[in-house]
Amino acid sequence: MPRIAINLGGGFVPGVNAVITGTVLAAAELGWDVVGIHDGFEGLLFRDHYPDGGLIHLSSASINNAISSSGPVIGTAAKLDPFRVRTVTEENQVEEVDRSDELLELIRRHNIDAVISVVGARALSVVLKLHRKALRVVAIPESVENDIAVTQLSFGFNSALSWTAEMLDQAREAGRSARRVGVVEVVGEHSGWLALQAGIAACADAILIPEIPYRLEKVAAKLRSKLDGRASHGLIVVAEGAQSSTPQSEPATVNPLKASLSPLATSSQGEHVIEQSGSAAKRLARELQRLLGHETYPLVLGQLIKAGRTTAVDRQLGIAYGAAAIRALHENRSGVMTAFEPPELKFVPLSEAINKIRTVPANSLFLQTARSLGICLGD
Amino acid sequence: MTASNDQLTGIVLNIQHFCTHDGPGIRTTVFLKACSLRCKWCCNPESIHPKPELSYNLSKCIGDKECGLCLKECPETALFVLDSDHKVRVNWDLCTNCGKCVDVCPPHALNLFGQVMTVEQVLDEVEQDSSFYNESGGGITVSGGECLLQPDFVAALLAGAHERGINTAIETAGNVPWRFMEQVLPHVDVMLHDHKATDPERHKKWTGVDNVRIKANFKQAYETFPATKFIARTPLIPGVNDDEEHIRSVLALIRPHPNVIDYELLPYHRFGEGKYNFLGRIYELEDFEPPSAETLARLRAIIDEAFGRNRAPVNGGVS
Repeated sequence: MPRIAINLGGGFVPGVNAVITGTVLAAAELGWDVVGIHDGFEGLLFRDHYPDGGLIHLSSASINNAISSSGPVIGTAAKLDPFRVRTVTEENQVEEVDRSDELLELIRRHNIDAVISVVGARALSVVLKLHRKALRVVAIPESVENDIAVTQLSFGFNSALSWTAEMLDQAREAGRSARRVGVVEVVGEHSGWLALQAGIAACADAILIPEIPYRLEKVAAKLRSKLDGRASHGLIVVAEGAQSSTPQSEPATVNPLKASLSPLATSSQGEHVIEQSGSAAKRLARELQRLLGHETYPLVLGQLIKAGRTTAVDRQLGIAYGAAAIRALHENRSGVMTAFEPPELKFVPLSEAINKIRTVPANSLFLQTARSLGICLGD
Repeated sequence: MTASNDQLTGIVLNIQHFCTHDGPGIRTTVFLKACSLRCKWCCNPESIHPKPELSYNLSKCIGDKECGLCLKECPETALFVLDSDHKVRVNWDLCTNCGKCVDVCPPHALNLFGQVMTVEQVLDEVEQDSSFYNESGGGITVSGGECLLQPDFVAALLAGAHERGINTAIETAGNVPWRFMEQVLPHVDVMLHDHKATDPERHKKWTGVDNVRIKANFKQAYETFPATKFIARTPLIPGVNDDEEHIRSVLALIRPHPNVIDYELLPYHRFGEGKYNFLGRIYELEDFEPPSAETLARLRAIIDEAFGRNRAPVNGGVS
């Protein structure tokens, strides 16, 4: 009986339990066995850290209520990189050790025939490297930013979108009662999908995304016309990677050299880093207040966007992705990522999914919608 | 020196001329690759990895519209272009540091830190500065990284320097097997060595390992090599080791040994921060500020008192 392992390598995202459920149920239909690896690959590489040995058997019975619970059935790892594991050697030296061969041996020794890795954009390259070392693997894309290329929808995005729209409503109400302009920052370093779609859903006054450099005076003019019309408050949604197209009156707080970092890097030797969370909202709120003479307040949603309930869309998508990953393995596919290209679920080679970011195109329907609603995009 | 020693090779990060903070006089400092610690304040992150390593500076990249040569050269598909600015990014997970992209990068946005050099090549370059050594009492200093991780190369290099009449010094954090230190120290005139934290747990938290072996190595070095001069140092990091307790505990270790001639404090600085980004890494101490002048003066006064003098020597920053 084939034995499949599943692990979560990109941190927690709403819908991971749906993926696990889809995987386990589809595997059960084929009579396959499924185990979960705790915390990325750490359950295998550091087995002594886990009372259950790092692996957990997943059956239809054991995941009974998982689909409707919020905590993941197996732990997630922020980093999924067996190629550079920081280790203190017997000579008491700190080294980053390539433990990928050891991992593959452990996978073989535990009679695991293939691995399904649930990962974000940054860990896809690691999965590809494992595939190049002959691991049978299928990746499932997760992203609250929906920034993974070659799929229209990563699971987790829809839940984050719904929850963000709800919080934007709350932010607007807070602004109304305080008679201020709320400047709400949401995740999105290179992709503005979440800011754009949630901002439209909340009918924000302005939405600023990384794909469209904004002019501060345009945003101020939009708010001024609203406030001159006796409105007492406003709402701006800004993605954390949004940039002004003109020199700012106050310099960015973050070292510009950080731009040299890759947005797709991961692991201890290749960290991913973005501007300090909150700096986009803080700077914009301060500068707008100077220009408008009206009080503003910055609000950073940050990781809160992952705290909402898993929507039905993400449940369906997660289940479908899990089942599709099993189907891929059943069809002897490996080194692929499940991808949603409506109306189909496809399998895309990992080599085509890496080194790309799914950004908002200039002719996006969402941009057209925002413009037709009079929402300022800063250009 | 034998011809075979002359041709021994090491991985050299950089040879820096006219250094005044790496031992007595004016010195030429040879930085070697590889380190056995991971100090969070390290200002030479490019020295940590034992092999030559790629770095990337976005501000120098002229973009794929004008150039794009590196994209064709990379055998690992580890380079790609962002649509937003049409400039290259490195996928550090896929990069193997082969350096093929470096050779074709006209603006030198891509660089390789580290090169293989022979003892003879290094000494020939170092010797060019010999007139400065004679006037100032300087010489060669081998630093890192942790230079003692290349013991054969360093021993040959320093023996060769002595043969050419050049004063020798090393900078070490001491976290190596004793046999490495024992192999190199006969060729060393001055050993600058770090006492980074007193408490083993704190040392482990900030550098990756405890300091039990380090302290044992230093004690054994003081006792085994009485003719060698030792200069103890502490990179002074606010909140980590800028307290009297640490300074006094180091003094208690070194003062019984007359060949430890000084104890220097190197105030924390952030000059290395940009290099972290070029290597695709996070600089973890972003919010740290250098120690205040008052703290520095107060701690130096404790050292002066222990050494029975009026003023502590002024030195550079964290190494």
